[in-house]
Amino acid sequence: MKQGAVDAVIRGLKAAGVSVVCYLPDSLFKELYPALDADPDIRTIPVTNEGEGAAICGGVFLSGKRAALVMENSGLRASIEPLARMGLGAGIPVIMLMSYRGDLGENNWWAIPHGITMEPLLNAMRIPYRVVRKEDEIETAIHDAYEWAYAAYYHVAIALSGEIVR
Amino acid sequence: MNRFDCMEVLSAQLKDELVILSLGGSVDEWYNAAPHMRKASLFQQQLGCVTPQAFGLAVGLPHRRIVSLDTDGGMLFNLGILATLGNEQPENLFVVVWDNECYQSIGGPPTHTAAQRVDIAAIARGSGVKEAHVATDLATFEEHCRKGLAAREPYIVVAKVTSTVRRDIRRKHSDGREDKYIFVRHVEETENIVIMGPSEHN
Repeated sequence: MKQGAVDAVIRGLKAAGVSVVCYLPDSLFKELYPALDADPDIRTIPVTNEGEGAAICGGVFLSGKRAALVMENSGLRASIEPLARMGLGAGIPVIMLMSYRGDLGENNWWAIPHGITMEPLLNAMRIPYRVVRKEDEIETAIHDAYEWAYAAYYHVAIALSGEIVR
Repeated sequence: MNRFDCMEVLSAQLKDELVILSLGGSVDEWYNAAPHMRKASLFQQQLGCVTPQAFGLAVGLPHRRIVSLDTDGGMLFNLGILATLGNEQPENLFVVVWDNECYQSIGGPPTHTAAQRVDIAAIARGSGVKEAHVATDLATFEEHCRKGLAAREPYIVVAKVTSTVRRDIRRKHSDGREDKYIFVRHVEETENIVIMGPSEHN
């Protein structure tokens, strides 16, 4: 991930009022995690799996603070259970920012399942999402995601792909 | 030791705390054991989510005492949260684990604690939560509640309770969505903040 994209993500999160980020680190966002850790305005919480991170983000929502769950898109699979219960059962939203592993251009066999499952899972959960492949569209996407999530009180996802993560 | 009796003991110590609790029989029991905490309690039907949600709430409201009423089944579903609590060391989170050694709400098949080899408090200590204890009698439970509600580090008490459920109590009628609105409006009112505000007109 280039520095410009890292900066755009952090600017976008701050502009959306995010003060807590839960993450499980991955390779495509490798440069993003230490930058989030180093930012004095954002509290980062590394988690043991993304489902735990989703539930923590749900708790942060209940406090009135704004959180983001940052992860590889494989983390969506680990998060489905808490996302279904919180989102569909109680209307507690989680805003997700994920790297799009397995998108066209992927050259790792182990990442292919992530690409094949991500969009069908998001659709099954009726979670709106935007795939962003241009650095100058990151901030707007993050802004729009929070606007929607705080109108719908339901989950939303941004997947970063293409030149942003390569 | 009986869970409802434990709840009454805990309830008597609570005033302006916020509570997140687990699924099953404990929901109606808490609704009755702590009537003054109904608005301040989020009744969730979410195995493995309760303590993570309570921790997120504790992160967002660091000046407020948060109580997680979790279960053996719920904690075993996501043991990773214990490691996260060990790393993050929240100063305002008290966790009670009702350990009845079974999945009581579906009729009572055993959880992994039933064979007497799995010790959730020991797992918690091994995960970096130093104050993690087991209570097998009411007086010990009461003492851990007193300490846990005043601790400046994460505090966990595993309450070994029987699998009996109080049946002669009023059922809670609201669902997860109504519960969330009640809870959020209570947090807004007591914290003087807006969580779910008015819609834009544009």
